[in-house]
Amino acid sequence: MRLAFLLHQTLCGAIAAAGFGILFNFSFTSLPWCALSGAVALAVRTCCLSQGWSVEAASLAAALTVGFGTELLRNRSEDSRSALDVVGCIPMVPGSLAAKAILSLIALTTSSMVQNSETLVAAAQYSVSTIFTIGAIGTGLVIPTVLLHLRLSRRRR
Amino acid sequence: MEEAFEARDEVGSHSPAHRNSAHWPSLEQLAIVALDSGRMLMEAGASGKGVQEMVETIAYGLDAEQVDLGVGYASLTLTIQRCGVFITRMRRVGHIGVNERMAGELWKLARRVSRGNQTIEQTRLRLERLSLGGVRHAPPVVAIAMGLACAAFGRLLGLDWRGAVPVFIAATIGQYLRHELLKRKMNVFVCATIVSSLSSFLSDLGAHWIGSLTYATAMISPVLLLVPGVPAINAQTDIIDGRPSLGIARAVTVIMILVFIALGLWFGQMPLDHWHLP
Repeated sequence: MRLAFLLHQTLCGAIAAAGFGILFNFSFTSLPWCALSGAVALAVRTCCLSQGWSVEAASLAAALTVGFGTELLRNRSEDSRSALDVVGCIPMVPGSLAAKAILSLIALTTSSMVQNSETLVAAAQYSVSTIFTIGAIGTGLVIPTVLLHLRLSRRRR
Repeated sequence: MEEAFEARDEVGSHSPAHRNSAHWPSLEQLAIVALDSGRMLMEAGASGKGVQEMVETIAYGLDAEQVDLGVGYASLTLTIQRCGVFITRMRRVGHIGVNERMAGELWKLARRVSRGNQTIEQTRLRLERLSLGGVRHAPPVVAIAMGLACAAFGRLLGLDWRGAVPVFIAATIGQYLRHELLKRKMNVFVCATIVSSLSSFLSDLGAHWIGSLTYATAMISPVLLLVPGVPAINAQTDIIDGRPSLGIARAVTVIMILVFIALGLWFGQMPLDHWHLP
Protein backbone atom coordinates (compact mmCIF):
# COMPACT_ATOMS: atom_id res chain seq x y z
CA MET A 1 0.00 0.00 0.00
CA ARG A 2 1.28 3.44 -0.89
CA LEU A 3 1.87 5.83 1.99
CA ALA A 4 0.40 8.72 -0.02
CA PHE A 5 -2.89 6.83 -0.39
CA LEU A 6 -3.01 6.04 3.33
CA LEU A 7 -2.36 9.70 4.17
CA HIS A 8 -5.04 10.79 1.71
CA GLN A 9 -7.66 8.46 3.23
CA THR A 10 -6.66 9.50 6.76
CA LEU A 11 -6.90 13.20 5.92
CA CYS A 12 -10.29 12.78 4.21
CA GLY A 13 -11.57 10.81 7.22
CA ALA A 14 -10.40 13.58 9.54
CA ILE A 15 -12.08 16.32 7.46
CA ALA A 16 -15.35 14.36 7.19
CA ALA A 17 -15.44 13.63 10.95
CA ALA A 18 -14.62 17.24 11.87
CA GLY A 19 -17.32 18.49 9.46
CA PHE A 20 -19.89 16.25 11.09
CA GLY A 21 -18.55 17.34 14.48
CA ILE A 22 -19.61 20.89 13.62
CA LEU A 23 -23.03 19.66 12.44
CA PHE A 24 -23.43 17.78 15.75
CA ASN A 25 -22.52 20.97 17.62
CA PHE A 26 -19.23 19.85 19.14
CA SER A 27 -17.32 22.83 20.56
CA PHE A 28 -14.35 24.13 18.55
CA THR A 29 -12.01 22.81 21.24
CA SER A 30 -13.39 19.26 20.73
CA LEU A 31 -13.05 19.35 16.93
CA PRO A 32 -9.40 18.18 16.85
CA TRP A 33 -10.53 15.08 18.79
CA CYS A 34 -13.31 14.49 16.25
CA ALA A 35 -10.78 14.81 13.43
CA LEU A 36 -8.37 12.43 15.20
CA SER A 37 -11.17 9.92 15.75
CA GLY A 38 -12.11 9.97 12.03
CA ALA A 39 -8.46 9.83 10.97
CA VAL A 40 -7.75 6.75 13.11
CA ALA A 41 -10.91 5.02 11.84
CA LEU A 42 -10.04 5.56 8.19
CA ALA A 43 -6.36 4.70 8.68
CA VAL A 44 -7.21 1.36 10.31
CA ARG A 45 -9.86 0.56 7.71
CA THR A 46 -7.54 1.41 4.80
CA CYS A 47 -4.75 -0.76 6.26
CA CYS A 48 -7.15 -3.68 6.72
CA LEU A 49 -8.58 -3.30 3.20
CA SER A 50 -5.07 -3.29 1.75
CA GLN A 51 -4.47 -6.64 3.49
CA GLY A 52 -7.39 -8.09 1.53
CA TRP A 53 -10.03 -7.86 4.28
CA SER A 54 -13.65 -7.27 3.30
CA VAL A 55 -15.21 -3.82 3.87
CA GLU A 56 -17.33 -5.22 6.71
CA ALA A 57 -14.38 -6.78 8.56
CA ALA A 58 -12.24 -3.69 8.03
CA SER A 59 -15.06 -1.46 9.35
CA LEU A 60 -15.40 -3.68 12.42
CA ALA A 61 -11.65 -3.45 13.14
CA ALA A 62 -11.71 0.34 12.69
CA ALA A 63 -14.79 0.77 14.92
CA LEU A 64 -13.22 -1.43 17.61
CA THR A 65 -10.03 0.64 17.55
CA VAL A 66 -11.92 3.93 17.78
CA GLY A 67 -14.24 2.50 20.42
CA PHE A 68 -11.43 1.30 22.70
CA GLY A 69 -9.43 4.51 22.16
CA THR A 70 -12.39 6.73 23.00
CA GLU A 71 -13.33 4.60 25.99
CA LEU A 72 -9.79 4.92 27.43
CA LEU A 73 -9.91 8.70 26.87
CA ARG A 74 -13.27 8.85 28.64
CA ASN A 75 -11.89 7.02 31.68
CA ARG A 76 -9.14 9.63 31.92
CA SER A 77 -11.27 12.69 31.32
CA GLU A 78 -14.28 11.50 33.36
CA ASP A 79 -16.44 12.62 30.43
CA SER A 80 -18.09 9.25 30.09
CA ARG A 81 -20.79 9.95 27.53
CA SER A 82 -19.25 11.93 24.68
CA ALA A 83 -20.24 10.81 21.16
CA LEU A 84 -16.65 11.09 19.92
CA ASP A 85 -16.53 7.45 18.81
CA VAL A 86 -19.75 7.78 16.80
CA VAL A 87 -18.44 10.89 15.00
CA GLY A 88 -15.22 9.07 14.14
CA CYS A 89 -17.17 6.23 12.55
CA ILE A 90 -19.52 8.47 10.55
CA PRO A 91 -17.17 8.57 7.51
CA MET A 92 -17.45 4.77 7.36
CA VAL A 93 -21.28 4.69 7.31
CA PRO A 94 -22.08 3.33 3.84
CA GLY A 95 -24.52 6.04 2.79
CA SER A 96 -23.65 5.81 -0.89
CA LEU A 97 -24.14 2.01 -0.86
CA ALA A 98 -27.54 2.43 0.78
CA ALA A 99 -28.58 5.02 -1.80
CA LYS A 100 -27.37 2.76 -4.62
CA ALA A 101 -29.33 -0.15 -3.15
CA ILE A 102 -32.56 1.84 -3.12
CA LEU A 103 -31.90 3.28 -6.60
CA SER A 104 -31.34 -0.27 -7.89
CA LEU A 105 -34.66 -1.32 -6.37
CA ILE A 106 -36.35 1.65 -8.06
CA ALA A 107 -34.63 0.70 -11.34
CA LEU A 108 -36.17 -2.78 -11.04
CA THR A 109 -39.58 -1.27 -11.73
CA THR A 110 -38.43 0.32 -14.98
CA SER A 111 -35.84 -2.12 -16.38
CA SER A 112 -36.56 -4.73 -19.03
CA MET A 113 -36.81 -8.45 -18.21
CA VAL A 114 -33.26 -9.09 -19.49
CA GLN A 115 -31.76 -6.47 -17.16
CA ASN A 116 -33.93 -7.47 -14.21
CA SER A 117 -31.70 -10.24 -12.84
CA GLU A 118 -28.56 -8.08 -12.97
CA THR A 119 -30.32 -5.18 -11.29
CA LEU A 120 -31.77 -7.47 -8.63
CA VAL A 121 -28.37 -8.99 -7.85
CA ALA A 122 -26.82 -5.51 -7.64
CA ALA A 123 -29.61 -4.31 -5.32
CA ALA A 124 -29.19 -7.37 -3.09
CA GLN A 125 -25.41 -6.97 -2.95
CA TYR A 126 -25.62 -3.27 -2.05
CA SER A 127 -28.33 -3.92 0.57
CA VAL A 128 -26.50 -6.80 2.27
CA SER A 129 -23.22 -4.90 2.26
CA THR A 130 -24.92 -1.83 3.77
CA ILE A 131 -26.59 -3.85 6.54
CA PHE A 132 -23.43 -5.78 7.42
CA THR A 133 -21.23 -2.67 7.39
CA ILE A 134 -23.58 -0.72 9.67
CA GLY A 135 -23.84 -3.83 11.85
CA ALA A 136 -20.06 -4.10 12.02
CA ILE A 137 -19.68 -0.43 12.98
CA GLY A 138 -22.39 -0.65 15.66
CA THR A 139 -20.93 -3.84 17.10
CA GLY A 140 -17.44 -2.41 17.07
CA LEU A 141 -18.62 0.61 19.05
CA VAL A 142 -20.67 -1.37 21.57
CA ILE A 143 -18.08 -4.06 22.45
CA PRO A 144 -15.52 -1.68 24.08
CA THR A 145 -18.24 0.05 26.10
CA VAL A 146 -19.64 -3.24 27.37
CA LEU A 147 -16.22 -4.80 28.15
CA LEU A 148 -14.69 -1.75 29.84
CA HIS A 149 -17.85 -0.93 31.83
CA LEU A 150 -17.96 -4.56 33.00
CA ARG A 151 -14.33 -4.25 34.18
CA LEU A 152 -15.05 -0.97 35.97
CA SER A 153 -18.13 -2.34 37.73
CA ARG A 154 -16.12 -5.41 38.87
CA ARG A 155 -13.43 -3.09 40.30
CA ARG A 156 -16.07 -1.08 42.19
CA ARG A 157 -17.43 -4.26 43.78
CA MET B 1 -45.12 -9.23 48.84
CA GLU B 2 -48.84 -9.02 48.19
CA GLU B 3 -49.18 -6.61 51.08
CA ALA B 4 -46.53 -4.43 49.56
CA PHE B 5 -48.37 -4.31 46.25
CA GLU B 6 -51.63 -3.47 47.99
CA ALA B 7 -49.96 -0.71 49.96
CA ARG B 8 -48.42 0.71 46.81
CA ASP B 9 -51.71 0.60 44.95
CA GLU B 10 -53.45 2.39 47.78
CA VAL B 11 -50.95 5.20 47.98
CA GLY B 12 -50.40 5.29 44.27
CA SER B 13 -54.02 5.98 43.37
CA HIS B 14 -54.49 9.63 42.49
CA SER B 15 -57.19 10.27 45.08
CA PRO B 16 -57.77 13.72 46.61
CA ALA B 17 -56.50 12.36 49.92
CA HIS B 18 -53.30 11.33 48.24
CA ARG B 19 -52.94 14.69 46.52
CA ASN B 20 -52.91 16.32 49.95
CA SER B 21 -49.98 14.16 50.98
CA ALA B 22 -46.95 16.17 52.08
CA HIS B 23 -44.79 14.34 49.57
CA TRP B 24 -46.96 15.00 46.54
CA PRO B 25 -45.81 18.43 45.25
CA SER B 26 -42.09 17.71 45.45
CA LEU B 27 -42.52 14.22 44.02
CA GLU B 28 -44.49 15.64 41.11
CA GLN B 29 -41.79 18.23 40.46
CA LEU B 30 -39.09 15.61 40.83
CA ALA B 31 -40.73 13.39 38.22
CA ILE B 32 -41.19 16.27 35.77
CA VAL B 33 -37.60 17.48 36.23
CA ALA B 34 -36.19 13.95 35.77
CA LEU B 35 -38.36 13.36 32.69
CA ASP B 36 -37.40 16.72 31.18
CA SER B 37 -33.71 15.93 31.54
CA GLY B 38 -34.25 12.59 29.78
CA ARG B 39 -36.38 14.14 27.05
CA MET B 40 -33.79 16.82 26.33
CA LEU B 41 -30.99 14.25 26.21
CA MET B 42 -33.02 12.04 23.87
CA GLU B 43 -33.65 15.03 21.59
CA ALA B 44 -29.88 15.70 21.67
CA GLY B 45 -29.28 12.28 20.10
CA ALA B 46 -28.47 10.00 23.05
CA SER B 47 -29.10 6.25 23.06
CA GLY B 48 -31.79 4.71 25.27
CA LYS B 49 -29.19 3.59 27.79
CA GLY B 50 -27.85 7.15 28.09
CA VAL B 51 -31.35 8.52 28.65
CA GLN B 52 -31.99 5.94 31.36
CA GLU B 53 -28.70 6.77 33.11
CA MET B 54 -29.52 10.49 32.97
CA VAL B 55 -33.04 10.14 34.40
CA GLU B 56 -31.85 7.79 37.15
CA THR B 57 -28.92 10.07 38.07
CA ILE B 58 -31.19 13.11 38.34
CA ALA B 59 -34.00 11.27 40.15
CA TYR B 60 -31.79 9.48 42.70
CA GLY B 61 -29.77 12.70 43.15
CA LEU B 62 -33.00 14.46 44.11
CA ASP B 63 -33.84 11.77 46.70
CA ALA B 64 -36.05 9.34 44.79
CA GLU B 65 -36.01 5.84 46.27
CA GLN B 66 -37.07 3.88 43.21
CA VAL B 67 -37.04 4.85 39.54
CA ASP B 68 -38.53 2.88 36.64
CA LEU B 69 -38.26 4.40 33.18
CA GLY B 70 -39.80 3.32 29.87
CA VAL B 71 -37.96 4.77 26.87
CA GLY B 72 -40.02 4.96 23.67
CA TYR B 73 -39.17 6.68 20.39
CA ALA B 74 -41.77 9.42 20.86
CA SER B 75 -42.31 9.44 24.63
CA LEU B 76 -40.77 8.69 28.02
CA THR B 77 -42.72 7.16 30.88
CA LEU B 78 -41.45 7.35 34.45
CA THR B 79 -42.66 5.78 37.67
CA ILE B 80 -41.00 7.22 40.72
CA GLN B 81 -41.30 6.34 44.40
CA ARG B 82 -40.36 8.04 47.65
CA CYS B 83 -41.49 7.37 51.24
CA GLY B 84 -44.06 4.84 50.04
CA VAL B 85 -45.65 7.35 47.64
CA PHE B 86 -45.33 6.74 43.93
CA ILE B 87 -46.47 8.50 40.78
CA THR B 88 -46.28 7.79 37.07
CA ARG B 89 -45.75 10.55 34.52
CA MET B 90 -45.23 10.67 30.76
CA ARG B 91 -43.43 13.21 28.56
CA ARG B 92 -43.56 13.54 24.76
CA VAL B 93 -40.21 13.53 22.94
CA GLY B 94 -39.86 16.06 20.12
CA HIS B 95 -37.69 16.03 17.00
CA ILE B 96 -34.59 13.93 17.59
CA GLY B 97 -31.41 15.53 16.35
CA VAL B 98 -27.79 15.52 17.52
CA ASN B 99 -26.51 18.25 19.82
CA GLU B 100 -23.33 17.25 21.61
CA ARG B 101 -22.94 20.52 23.55
CA MET B 102 -26.46 20.21 24.94
CA ALA B 103 -25.74 16.61 25.97
CA GLY B 104 -22.52 17.76 27.66
CA GLU B 105 -24.36 20.48 29.62
CA LEU B 106 -27.02 17.99 30.70
CA TRP B 107 -24.39 15.53 31.96
CA LYS B 108 -22.64 18.35 33.86
CA LEU B 109 -25.96 19.17 35.52
CA ALA B 110 -26.56 15.49 36.32
CA ARG B 111 -23.14 15.25 37.99
CA ARG B 112 -23.93 18.30 40.14
CA VAL B 113 -27.31 16.85 41.10
CA SER B 114 -25.79 13.47 42.00
CA ARG B 115 -23.32 15.22 44.35
CA GLY B 116 -26.32 16.77 46.12
CA ASN B 117 -25.41 20.33 45.05
CA GLN B 118 -28.79 21.11 43.44
CA THR B 119 -32.37 21.41 44.65
CA ILE B 120 -35.33 20.43 42.48
CA GLU B 121 -36.07 24.09 41.77
CA GLN B 122 -32.48 24.89 40.81
CA THR B 123 -32.40 21.87 38.49
CA ARG B 124 -35.71 22.88 36.90
CA LEU B 125 -34.48 26.43 36.29
CA ARG B 126 -31.23 25.16 34.74
CA LEU B 127 -33.17 22.82 32.44
CA GLU B 128 -35.47 25.67 31.44
CA ARG B 129 -32.47 27.83 30.57
CA LEU B 130 -30.93 25.00 28.55
CA SER B 131 -34.19 24.37 26.68
CA LEU B 132 -34.10 27.94 25.36
CA GLY B 133 -31.24 26.74 23.17
CA GLY B 134 -27.59 26.79 24.03
CA VAL B 135 -24.66 27.89 21.93
CA ARG B 136 -24.76 26.65 18.33
CA HIS B 137 -22.44 27.14 15.39
CA ALA B 138 -23.63 29.75 12.87
CA PRO B 139 -25.58 28.18 9.96
CA PRO B 140 -23.11 29.38 7.27
CA VAL B 141 -20.24 27.79 9.25
CA VAL B 142 -22.15 24.50 9.47
CA ALA B 143 -22.98 24.67 5.74
CA ILE B 144 -19.33 25.18 4.74
CA ALA B 145 -18.21 22.43 7.14
CA MET B 146 -20.71 20.03 5.57
CA GLY B 147 -19.54 21.06 2.09
CA LEU B 148 -15.99 20.14 3.05
CA ALA B 149 -17.13 16.92 4.75
CA CYS B 150 -19.09 15.79 1.67
CA ALA B 151 -16.17 16.62 -0.64
CA ALA B 152 -13.94 14.50 1.63
CA PHE B 153 -16.59 11.75 1.59
CA GLY B 154 -16.57 11.93 -2.20
CA ARG B 155 -12.78 11.55 -2.30
CA LEU B 156 -13.11 8.47 -0.08
CA LEU B 157 -15.59 7.05 -2.60
CA GLY B 158 -13.20 7.64 -5.52
CA LEU B 159 -14.27 11.11 -6.70
CA ASP B 160 -11.65 12.93 -8.82
CA TRP B 161 -10.31 16.34 -7.69
CA ARG B 162 -12.35 18.22 -10.33
CA GLY B 163 -15.53 16.63 -9.08
CA ALA B 164 -14.80 17.70 -5.49
CA VAL B 165 -15.51 21.37 -6.33
CA PRO B 166 -19.18 20.96 -7.41
CA VAL B 167 -19.74 18.50 -4.54
CA PHE B 168 -18.48 21.11 -2.06
CA ILE B 169 -20.72 23.83 -3.53
CA ALA B 170 -23.81 21.58 -3.83
CA ALA B 171 -23.44 20.21 -0.29
CA THR B 172 -22.95 23.72 1.15
CA ILE B 173 -26.12 24.94 -0.57
CA GLY B 174 -27.95 21.75 0.43
CA GLN B 175 -27.05 22.07 4.11
CA TYR B 176 -28.08 25.74 4.20
CA LEU B 177 -31.38 24.86 2.52
CA ARG B 178 -31.93 22.02 5.02
CA HIS B 179 -31.35 24.41 7.91
CA GLU B 180 -33.85 26.93 6.51
CA LEU B 181 -36.50 24.27 5.79
CA LEU B 182 -36.19 22.68 9.25
CA LYS B 183 -36.36 26.15 10.83
CA ARG B 184 -39.74 26.54 9.10
CA LYS B 185 -40.84 23.21 10.69
CA MET B 186 -40.93 21.30 7.42
CA ASN B 187 -41.40 17.53 7.64
CA VAL B 188 -38.00 15.82 7.96
CA PHE B 189 -38.69 13.29 5.19
CA VAL B 190 -39.94 15.85 2.67
CA CYS B 191 -36.97 18.05 3.56
CA ALA B 192 -34.60 15.13 2.84
CA THR B 193 -36.15 14.66 -0.62
CA ILE B 194 -35.96 18.37 -1.53
CA VAL B 195 -32.37 18.77 -0.35
CA SER B 196 -31.31 15.50 -1.95
CA SER B 197 -32.81 16.35 -5.35
CA LEU B 198 -31.36 19.88 -5.45
CA SER B 199 -27.89 18.89 -4.20
CA SER B 200 -27.55 15.90 -6.52
CA PHE B 201 -28.81 17.92 -9.50
CA LEU B 202 -26.39 20.82 -8.87
CA SER B 203 -23.47 18.52 -8.21
CA ASP B 204 -24.07 16.31 -11.26
CA LEU B 205 -24.55 19.33 -13.52
CA GLY B 206 -21.43 21.00 -12.09
CA ALA B 207 -19.38 17.80 -12.51
CA HIS B 208 -20.38 17.57 -16.19
CA TRP B 209 -19.65 21.25 -16.73
CA ILE B 210 -16.24 21.15 -15.03
CA GLY B 211 -15.23 18.00 -16.91
CA SER B 212 -15.14 15.49 -14.06
CA LEU B 213 -15.00 11.84 -15.11
CA THR B 214 -16.65 10.60 -11.90
CA TYR B 215 -20.00 12.39 -12.22
CA ALA B 216 -21.94 9.39 -10.82
CA THR B 217 -20.00 9.66 -7.54
CA ALA B 218 -20.33 13.44 -7.69
CA MET B 219 -24.12 13.04 -7.82
CA ILE B 220 -24.27 10.85 -4.70
CA SER B 221 -21.61 12.57 -2.54
CA PRO B 222 -23.48 15.78 -1.57
CA VAL B 223 -26.51 13.85 -0.26
CA LEU B 224 -24.37 12.00 2.28
CA LEU B 225 -24.93 14.90 4.70
CA LEU B 226 -28.52 13.64 4.97
CA VAL B 227 -27.65 10.03 5.85
CA PRO B 228 -28.71 9.53 9.50
CA GLY B 229 -25.52 7.93 10.77
CA VAL B 230 -26.04 8.54 14.50
CA PRO B 231 -29.61 7.13 14.58
CA ALA B 232 -28.40 4.13 12.54
CA ILE B 233 -25.73 3.35 15.13
CA ASN B 234 -28.06 4.18 18.05
CA ALA B 235 -30.67 1.78 16.64
CA GLN B 236 -28.21 -1.05 16.90
CA THR B 237 -26.88 -0.13 20.34
CA ASP B 238 -30.46 0.17 21.63
CA ILE B 239 -31.28 -3.33 20.40
CA ILE B 240 -28.05 -4.71 21.90
CA ASP B 241 -28.79 -2.91 25.20
CA GLY B 242 -32.16 -4.68 25.42
CA ARG B 243 -34.51 -2.03 24.00
CA PRO B 244 -35.65 -3.70 20.77
CA SER B 245 -38.78 -1.59 20.26
CA LEU B 246 -36.83 1.67 20.48
CA GLY B 247 -34.08 0.26 18.24
CA ILE B 248 -36.57 -0.95 15.63
CA ALA B 249 -38.37 2.42 15.65
CA ARG B 250 -35.06 4.15 15.02
CA ALA B 251 -34.09 1.67 12.29
CA VAL B 252 -37.42 2.14 10.48
CA THR B 253 -36.95 5.92 10.61
CA VAL B 254 -33.44 5.53 9.17
CA ILE B 255 -34.74 3.32 6.34
CA MET B 256 -37.53 5.79 5.56
CA ILE B 257 -35.08 8.69 5.39
CA LEU B 258 -32.84 6.66 3.05
CA VAL B 259 -35.85 5.95 0.82
CA PHE B 260 -36.71 9.66 0.67
CA ILE B 261 -33.05 10.53 -0.08
CA ALA B 262 -33.03 8.00 -2.91
CA LEU B 263 -36.27 9.50 -4.28
CA GLY B 264 -34.58 12.90 -4.22
CA LEU B 265 -31.62 11.47 -6.14
CA TRP B 266 -34.04 10.06 -8.69
CA PHE B 267 -35.82 13.42 -9.08
CA GLY B 268 -32.45 15.18 -9.34
CA GLN B 269 -31.38 12.86 -12.14
CA MET B 270 -34.56 13.38 -14.20
CA PRO B 271 -33.70 16.75 -15.81
CA LEU B 272 -30.20 15.50 -16.67
CA ASP B 273 -31.70 12.40 -18.33
CA HIS B 274 -34.04 14.71 -20.21
CA TRP B 275 -31.03 16.71 -21.49
CA HIS B 276 -29.36 13.39 -22.47
CA LEU B 277 -26.40 13.87 -20.15
CA PRO B 278 -24.89 10.47 -19.20
